[in-house]
Amino acid sequence: MTPLKLKSSIAQIKLRNEPYLVINIVLAGVILLILAYSGIFSPEKNNYPIVCIHEKITGEPCVSCGLSHSFSLILRGKVAEAYQWNRYGMRVFLFFAGQFLLRIIFSLLYTKYPVTRKQLILFDIVGSSLIFLIAFMPFIAAIIKGL
Amino acid sequence: MEEVKNNSGQNLGIAALITAILTFVLAVIPCVGLIAVIPGIITIVLGSVAISQANRNNSPHGVALAGLIIGIIAIMIAFSQIFVARKIAHKADKWPKQFENIMNDVQDNVVKDLEDANVSIKVENNGDTIRIVTSPDKRNKEQTLEDLEKGNNSAHDTVKVKK
Repeated sequence: MTPLKLKSSIAQIKLRNEPYLVINIVLAGVILLILAYSGIFSPEKNNYPIVCIHEKITGEPCVSCGLSHSFSLILRGKVAEAYQWNRYGMRVFLFFAGQFLLRIIFSLLYTKYPVTRKQLILFDIVGSSLIFLIAFMPFIAAIIKGL
Repeated sequence: MEEVKNNSGQNLGIAALITAILTFVLAVIPCVGLIAVIPGIITIVLGSVAISQANRNNSPHGVALAGLIIGIIAIMIAFSQIFVARKIAHKADKWPKQFENIMNDVQDNVVKDLEDANVSIKVENNGDTIRIVTSPDKRNKEQTLEDLEKGNNSAHDTVKVKK
């Protein structure tokens, strides 16, 4: 399929009838917003509007403290400094960045191969769930440990 | 008209699923986990309405059901953050007690050391010298103190009274 034909097939698809594409577009948009949040607010100014509720309540830093700083520093290319703020920041950032790319890739595959749509969705659900578990395992472990 | 109703139910289902996924991601991040309760409630409301609309119109409700299930799991994780926070806070409350215990131990050790120590106090003022010497034994110190109070201190008195 040539790029021109692909474009026309994408244009023919009505988003209203394709929940999978709508979900992909919205999730990609949300991930973009997260990346924009990390880009707009800088660690130098320390002007992040979202603060750790755990720390506010308990006075003790939690396992996800410094995640916003870490994201901002990764976006600015300061990876070593990002690890100092939160050692799990990189894997969570990679999860979001990876999901952004996957949303685009899976959406294109969905429109390009209509026959294998069910398999594609199933593969996406299983794969994304596994990636989510790997990326967020330290946080999940902290919750389970805290219970 | 019928088709529009079906689509509106489906749209609510999609909205429920998207909110559910976002709630789930928020819920597992401890810093903002408690906030996830709010989108979690929205998810459950959206999912429930979507399922009821789908049932009324005999349309598929798989997406809405998936959203509802993920939303319920997410809200449970978000609520569990309260217990985690409570546990951490409980641990944090123990700190002052531990600190108090350490301070008490230090104080006891200092008092014990002083009880066993030879204490010598010497005060000099315009050639007058006062010197108090206590022995390690606590009883002797108490005896010395009683002697001093009674004025029976001639044996150890080093004060030279000017005539």
